[in-house]
Amino acid sequence: MMRGGVRGRGGPRMGRGGYKMKTFVPRLPFDIYLCEPAFQRAKPAPDETPLQQALLKRNTDLSPSPTEQTAVLNLVTKIATVLDTLIVTPGSFDACQIEEHRQVGSYKKGTMRTNHNVADVVVILKTLPTREAVEALGNQVTEELRQQEPADVLVMAMLPNDRGFEISNSEATVRVLVTTVHQNLRKLDPELHLDQKILQSHLAAIRHSRWFEENAHHSSIKVLIRLLRDLKNRFEGFEPLSPWMLDLLAHYAVMNNPSRQAMSVHQAYRRCLQLLAAGLFLPGSAGIADPCEGGNIRVHTAMTLEQQDQVCLTAQTLLRALSHGGYKQVIGLEGNASIATDMTVWEGIVVSPLEKAYEKPPERKEGEPGDELADDDDMDMADN
Amino acid sequence: MAANNYFGFTHGGTQYGAAAAAAAGAAAYQATPAAGYAAVGHTPAAAATYAAQRATTAYEAAAAYQPAAATSYAATASSAPTYDYSYTRVQTYDNAAKTAAFYPQPTSTSFSAAADPAFQAKSSTTYTAGYQNAAARPAGQASKTYNYPAAGAAQSYTYPNQAAAAATANKNYSGYDAALYNAATLYVQQQAHTAPKGAGTWKASRPGVGAAIGQKPKLKQPPKPQQLHYCDVCKISCAGPQTYREHLEGQKHKKKESAQKQTAGTTPNAPRGGNSLRCELCDVTCTGSDAYAAHIRGAKHQKVVKLHTKLGKPIPSTEPVVVPGKSTTTTAKTGAAATTAVTKTTEVTKVVATPKINFVGGTKLTTTTPTASAAAAGTAVKEEPKEAAAAAAAPAAATAAAPAVARDDTVAVAAAALGEKEVEPVGQEYIEEIKNEEGKVVSFNCKLCECRFNDPNAKEMHMKGRRHRLQYKKKVNPELIVEVKPSLRQRKLQEEKLRRQQMREEMWRRREESAMDDEERIYWEERRRYEEEMEYFEWCRRGAGRGMPPFGPMGPMGPRFGPIPPMLRRPDSADDRHVMAKHSEIYPKDEELNAIQKIVSNSEKALKMVSDDIAEADAPKKDDGTATESKDEDGKELPRTLKGVMRVGVLAKGLLLQGDADVQLVVLCAEKPTRTLLERVANLMPKHLATVTPDEKYALKLSVEQASLIITNQTEPQINVTVTLTSPLMRDGAADGEPTASKDPPDVLDKQKCLEALAALRHAKWFQARASGVQSCVIVIRIMRELCQRVPTWTPLNTWALELLVERVVASAGFPLAPGDALRRVLEAIASGLLLPGTPGLIDPCEKEPVDTLSGLTAQEREDITASAQHALRLMAFRQVHKILGMDALPPPKFNRGKFNRKRRRDNSCSGENGDSEGGDGKKDKKEDESEAAKADAK
Repeated sequence: MMRGGVRGRGGPRMGRGGYKMKTFVPRLPFDIYLCEPAFQRAKPAPDETPLQQALLKRNTDLSPSPTEQTAVLNLVTKIATVLDTLIVTPGSFDACQIEEHRQVGSYKKGTMRTNHNVADVVVILKTLPTREAVEALGNQVTEELRQQEPADVLVMAMLPNDRGFEISNSEATVRVLVTTVHQNLRKLDPELHLDQKILQSHLAAIRHSRWFEENAHHSSIKVLIRLLRDLKNRFEGFEPLSPWMLDLLAHYAVMNNPSRQAMSVHQAYRRCLQLLAAGLFLPGSAGIADPCEGGNIRVHTAMTLEQQDQVCLTAQTLLRALSHGGYKQVIGLEGNASIATDMTVWEGIVVSPLEKAYEKPPERKEGEPGDELADDDDMDMADN
Repeated sequence: MAANNYFGFTHGGTQYGAAAAAAAGAAAYQATPAAGYAAVGHTPAAAATYAAQRATTAYEAAAAYQPAAATSYAATASSAPTYDYSYTRVQTYDNAAKTAAFYPQPTSTSFSAAADPAFQAKSSTTYTAGYQNAAARPAGQASKTYNYPAAGAAQSYTYPNQAAAAATANKNYSGYDAALYNAATLYVQQQAHTAPKGAGTWKASRPGVGAAIGQKPKLKQPPKPQQLHYCDVCKISCAGPQTYREHLEGQKHKKKESAQKQTAGTTPNAPRGGNSLRCELCDVTCTGSDAYAAHIRGAKHQKVVKLHTKLGKPIPSTEPVVVPGKSTTTTAKTGAAATTAVTKTTEVTKVVATPKINFVGGTKLTTTTPTASAAAAGTAVKEEPKEAAAAAAAPAAATAAAPAVARDDTVAVAAAALGEKEVEPVGQEYIEEIKNEEGKVVSFNCKLCECRFNDPNAKEMHMKGRRHRLQYKKKVNPELIVEVKPSLRQRKLQEEKLRRQQMREEMWRRREESAMDDEERIYWEERRRYEEEMEYFEWCRRGAGRGMPPFGPMGPMGPRFGPIPPMLRRPDSADDRHVMAKHSEIYPKDEELNAIQKIVSNSEKALKMVSDDIAEADAPKKDDGTATESKDEDGKELPRTLKGVMRVGVLAKGLLLQGDADVQLVVLCAEKPTRTLLERVANLMPKHLATVTPDEKYALKLSVEQASLIITNQTEPQINVTVTLTSPLMRDGAADGEPTASKDPPDVLDKQKCLEALAALRHAKWFQARASGVQSCVIVIRIMRELCQRVPTWTPLNTWALELLVERVVASAGFPLAPGDALRRVLEAIASGLLLPGTPGLIDPCEKEPVDTLSGLTAQEREDITASAQHALRLMAFRQVHKILGMDALPPPKFNRGKFNRKRRRDNSCSGENGDSEGGDGKKDKKEDESEAAKADAK
């Protein structure tokens, strides 16, 4: 009886603690840069200068010109001023109330690409975001901009999926993404308001840019992000990767090494492909935990299993092409995207594309997430 | 005291009569009327009486009394609890009229003697007759219905109150008179309103007085219509006497009239809650400033204004009159307190005068109107008489213009009057304009409230409206302030909620307290027990001496570990299960292992004998055969040619797979092995093998090129033992180069083979030191070896490179890996391009120089292996590890059964399908492998 009492107090808890350790722990995939001591160089490092040069050249090509930057900056400043005015003195404008507005995205992060002069601004509404309110806000902002500079040709358009609206002049575009304050999120009515997921993603975008400012200001990271975005745009297989995933991946590749010193761009570039090829973004991998969300959410879980397979497959093919000297094609200085899908020959070595591993027979698809869950359940059950 | 009196009443009227007659006694009653009521109210008999009385009373007024009586009663006896006094009041009234009928019944004393002095003494009016009349009438009715003494008693108790009230205040009395007067006329409803006034505040229903009394004469109106026929009730004019009469007889008029009478007692159209605005002119009550504004703008109002202007009648200002919802009684009360008997009399005169208001001339009577409106102000609502007068005096044109001017302001003014703040219309953008074909706006649709309206005014009002604002608050701007409507129900609900919450809190608090108590108690209990236990163990420990201590402290916790071991059985991941299943499949069977063990140990024994033989044979030569036994022993160490035999390769590493038939032994020689030595050993072997195992037959084959001899057994399973001769000198020689080479005997064995054998020795040592200590490493190497054997793409990867690769990769994880994870990590490493050009390569730890173990692979081979690993990795990630391993998918683990019925069903169906297509599945796998192999071949 006494024992029962004692056990009742501490026993199961301890048992649980000990047991929980054994639950499914996602593991980081093999990463040679993290276990360098185990792999001493058996042969001299190859000369990477060409790759380095090519990457820098590509980066220069991709960076926006000063004129472009000025154009975007001008438009963003104007819109910010208008929004500020609306916050301070709403005047007769009562369709919505603005809590604050913030710049997010590539413009804010300094990872903009040329010919893509789009800056993102998130507007947080104090009021609930109805489609009408968003439209009214768009019209109001455009109206005031026109009043300020009648000469400008401004076009206001609503963004697809009711994300917000965009205002563009001849040189630049500013996307105004609308969201609302946190406490309003649960009051949303899907019939009437913007999609909650989209609103949340806009709030997340603010967190992301904040995180980026604090953690990823190293210019290697920015260069790498630009290169990766370019890579994503060129290869269809990378389509599912979101900008945020690329940001995190670039940060991971540049900064996550034993010395915690930023790695050079070419190393990091290759490492990104290596990581993806090693299945960083595959099921069962620890991936990269989202630093802006609670609960240790792995960013790649936003992709479907099929997409994860596709991303990994593309990276694997590209990595082999890169290793066999096809860096110009991978980086995008030459050739086209077919290297990821067609058989290619590099210096006499045949690099063949890979096939999808993911199958979706209905029962399997059902079972896959279920199995993992069930495993966890088992443990809980066994525990109790 | 009151109770005493009641008691007395129920039994006889004598006491009562005395009380009623004596004013002092009556005053005493008044002092505690509430108590008296309460007491009676609680006697069931009395209650029953009420019910009976109500049911049987033929008095028409009964129903009409209730509302008025309730309020008036509250005014008189505000200290009384919520008992249903409307009935008492009814009775009170009845009583006043019926006493004559009742008193005789129980007591047979002369009631009229008792009653009449009470009333008549104070009544100075001509209504006595009326009163008597009234008294007589109900008496007649009541005498039919009230037969119970109890009923008499119940009624009797109310009477003193009434009498007392009547007796104490003159004004009350006059009110009472009025009531009686009314009763005498057949306006039963009106009596209902006036009746309460007798109870002390006849002012309580003030508007009623003015209105009700004022209305009576209207009926007298018809006989004297003049040029313009104006109906005051309906506020319309009629063209001629005929139409006027028709109108008066019409349903509409009657309805209006009765409605007016109905409501006259209470606040006219009293709103349920909150304030409202009233248009005096049209006698319309509006619930809000917007509604009021709309009314003012409305055609009807305009018409009335026009008419009144035409008539020269006073037009009250468009400024609204606030009709307070609830507070009427209280204000009226104060009014009542302030008014003296004189004001009462003026009102009485008003009663007389009012008929003239409903005039018929249009000119002279204007003078009386102010009086009327003043009276109305005094009685009904507080309107500034001056203003009213001014409005009346104003020229017709001005009055006509007034509404137009006022229109814009009406809302604001009305709002101001109501004390509500002007609300900004919100949510304009949610109101859609619906246009007809010509593009004209025909109606509006509010998307927030999902309602439609046609009038632009309505749109405006809607946007200000409460409902719309609530919707706006809910759907657009949660910060919008919408004033709370304090409806009675809501308030009640709120109170209820609050109360419940309080109760809940209380409950939680109590529970917490008690829970805390419990917990504490349990804690101390346990604590005590634990200490006892510890003491016991301490005692045991001392008794048992040293043996106990390590266990001692664990004692109390000992049981905890009991149930855990079974739980420690780790539920492996699917990958782990597949890998382990595959591993057990490829792991050699016991008989195989035994056979290998047998032949190897026999070979070793034989080699040892050979070594002895050779040493013996050589020793005499060297020592000239003079060596003693002991010397022989000592000397043997140095010159012994065959220094020892060692297991190498898969045998030493324990990497044997099922079907492996080749094992290696290495014999280290003191000097560089020569062909002569090899032949010598080969010649000696059969003899010694025979001595070791006489019953086993072994075949022996000499392979000089391999620097080895191969021993093969004759029985199944056939096993080849390759014995390679080598010497550490070979390596040194290689290192030193020329000089040693020149010293070499001419028939020295193949150097490369010897070096390989030496390397194999080092590898075996390395393996035992490093790889076998890494969790899952050996298993994965076995699996990978099998893969290399099975899949042609992987064949170029030699065993040593594979071992090294796996060991490095698995060990670099930094923590123990499960077999499935370890395999996946190996695939990840290869997939990430570990074998590809440009990577560091795999350094061989068993060589002095940095050597890339993988150097044997061509670039294409590396590429193919990488591609294959990449695909395999993804297969593994997507739960198809069985395809890599070349096996069937395993059904989910058995231990799930029974715990999860739902899951088991699914699993069963799964395995069932698998069962159905097992052959197919297997074939598919094979095909897959084949196709993979074919692909690799193609490359």
